[in-house]
Amino acid sequence: MIWIEILSRQREVAARFRITAAEVRIGRGYDNDVVVDDPYVAAQHLRVFRHDDGHLVAEDVGSANGTFIDGNRTRLSGFIVDGKQPIRIGQTYLRIRDVNHAVERERLASPERHVLPIVLAVVLGLSLPAIDALKIWLTQTGEPRASTYLSPLLMLITSLLVWVGIWALLCRIFAGRSHFLRNLLIALIGTAVFTLYHELVQYLAFAWTSSSGVNYEYAVIWLIFAAICFFHLREIGRTRLWLKGAAMTAVVVVGIALQALQQSEAFSDSGRQRTVHWLMPPMLRAVPLKDQSTFFGAIGDLKGRLDGDRS
Amino acid sequence: MRSYFVGALSRAIGLSLAIAASASGTVWAAQGESAVAERIYASAPPRLLQIRTLVADAGRQTSNGSGFLVSADGLAITNYHVVSQAALEPATYRLEYTAADGSQGDVTLLRVDLPNDLALVRVDKKDAPFFRFDRAAIEGRLAKGERLYSMGNPLDLGFTIIEGTYNGLADHSYTERIHFSGALNPGMSGGPAVTADGDVIGINVATRRGGQLVSFLVPARFAAALLQAGGDEKPADIKGDVGRQLVAWRSELYKSLSAAGFRSDALGPYRAPATQVLWFNCWASTNAGATPKPRASVNSTECGSDTSVFVASDLNIGAININHSFARTIDLNQFQFATYLTQLSQPRLSVGGPFKKWYTPQRCHEDFLQVPPQPQHPPLRVVWCAQAYRQFEGLYDVSLIVVTQDQALEALVSRLNMQAVGYDDAVALGKRFLEAVQVGK
Repeated sequence: MIWIEILSRQREVAARFRITAAEVRIGRGYDNDVVVDDPYVAAQHLRVFRHDDGHLVAEDVGSANGTFIDGNRTRLSGFIVDGKQPIRIGQTYLRIRDVNHAVERERLASPERHVLPIVLAVVLGLSLPAIDALKIWLTQTGEPRASTYLSPLLMLITSLLVWVGIWALLCRIFAGRSHFLRNLLIALIGTAVFTLYHELVQYLAFAWTSSSGVNYEYAVIWLIFAAICFFHLREIGRTRLWLKGAAMTAVVVVGIALQALQQSEAFSDSGRQRTVHWLMPPMLRAVPLKDQSTFFGAIGDLKGRLDGDRS
Repeated sequence: MRSYFVGALSRAIGLSLAIAASASGTVWAAQGESAVAERIYASAPPRLLQIRTLVADAGRQTSNGSGFLVSADGLAITNYHVVSQAALEPATYRLEYTAADGSQGDVTLLRVDLPNDLALVRVDKKDAPFFRFDRAAIEGRLAKGERLYSMGNPLDLGFTIIEGTYNGLADHSYTERIHFSGALNPGMSGGPAVTADGDVIGINVATRRGGQLVSFLVPARFAAALLQAGGDEKPADIKGDVGRQLVAWRSELYKSLSAAGFRSDALGPYRAPATQVLWFNCWASTNAGATPKPRASVNSTECGSDTSVFVASDLNIGAININHSFARTIDLNQFQFATYLTQLSQPRLSVGGPFKKWYTPQRCHEDFLQVPPQPQHPPLRVVWCAQAYRQFEGLYDVSLIVVTQDQALEALVSRLNMQAVGYDDAVALGKRFLEAVQVGK
């Protein structure tokens, strides 16, 4: 018994023919066992038969356009069929398989649901708004109002859900399953990383008087954004990960470069350094107090930079 | 609160001020005084000038002011701000005069005195009568209340004589200015203010917006000094001279500020630096009565010097500000109070003109600092921001902000803003400022 599979351009099986005869004829003519509606295929194109040693052999029976192994430009007249590489005749892809062609082992299904992701999603889902609310409370210097808490929280929750919804929809379309929980976890973890980073650099800017973390925050935001997108893309399909990774790397590079350019232009236009003057309670200070000579030494160094700007 | 220069009458401001001018008549003058004014004005025409700045290529005026002859061979005095465009961009602008008797001609700029806003020019007018400087005024022997007559061409309406009163030198001013109670208007800048004898005691320079008839004159002795300062050959580089005068004048100003030093005035439990010089104007404010009820109380003092000087039509620089705010929480917690202090202590450099034309971008440095000895000086968080003037070597704007770090729920936020300062002067003053921030009575 021989199986002839007609493949789509994506090399997925479009039709499958079971032939019980010892020999199969393939072509456009209706005298064939498998009829291929492809104008580039000859009326009698291919003949498949079993060789004396048991192998299946394909033989071109005199087509004008020839027969090829997929991805190969060498025209073949007769060859042994291994059942793995698709064969191209005209613009049609075929796979010819023997009845005893070995198939992959049965894939084991994972247990229905892990508890950990659900717990993680709930914890993150609750703690992110809580951190946000805490931040709003700690920086509130005016009259406390409910709307100053509610609208940012609503914004956060809505944008998270919309974002996850879009990716879940894409997963549903391209992978068949929405993976809502996984997509939600990716978005939550990304947001949590960003929140932690943001708080950390603000603390560093005050307590360690090191403002570089705040100055380059935009680069980190782009990195986190690209990482989130990459993991969402991975959920859609685990094939061609290098391509997805490369695309996201390009997003990071272009995003950071564009924003750096924008910032340097804004600096030369407005003359305002993106200052990170941000105070916290004095007890959080982590560096020793400088003495006057050190401080005014740094002030003196500033003069050189100002004079450099002048020219 | 600020003085505005009345000379460079431009199209934009001309009209709005013309309404003010027509509303304020001169009907209040007594009959006898008017007779004096008539006599003075009658003798003025050949020596009283209108000086116009023209776009050289277009041949039309961009601004105008007044001036007056001070010698028989055509030397005349006007304000620097009347001729500043021609001084800074001689290739684009040229000067022209029209005398009150109708004669016209070219004007050559000879010398400027930037701090006193004066310029010496030569007009092609020979053997004309001229104004003399009043001896009593030069020696400072004029009595308050003396009647003065100011002349010029306000708002391009024609030559005008205005009566007013001499009120001595203005207080709280670094540069000497005569307080003249009379209605100066744009276009009169550079015109003479004379006594009943017709001798010049000052030069019209500025008026204070928001006041009534509060105007200022440059004392005649500065004009006399400029006239005698040397030969009348045309200097090659007036623009460079403007820069040099600016740097020298500012350096002297900051040296006198530095020499006077800072004393420490009590503000809450802290002691805050206050300057001892007399040319600062100080005000206090509080948010105690604010609505909605503030969550931290702030009591502030603000001292400013009106030492800004006209450099170009789009650059007025030189103000100095010292500002202290003592903040104490009412119901804010430590973090909220720190946020409140962040808002109070944002670094801000004020600019005196279009940023890109005159200034380099601003650079800041921020750190924790301890000035010894410890119990007397609290730990500080200090921000130093500075920008340089592109066209004036050695001049910077500096803003120094200090936040005390000894208490979590109360703090002193002090600010020292110095415009147009030499960097070393700024560092020296900054050091003394920091040393004067203290805690304890």
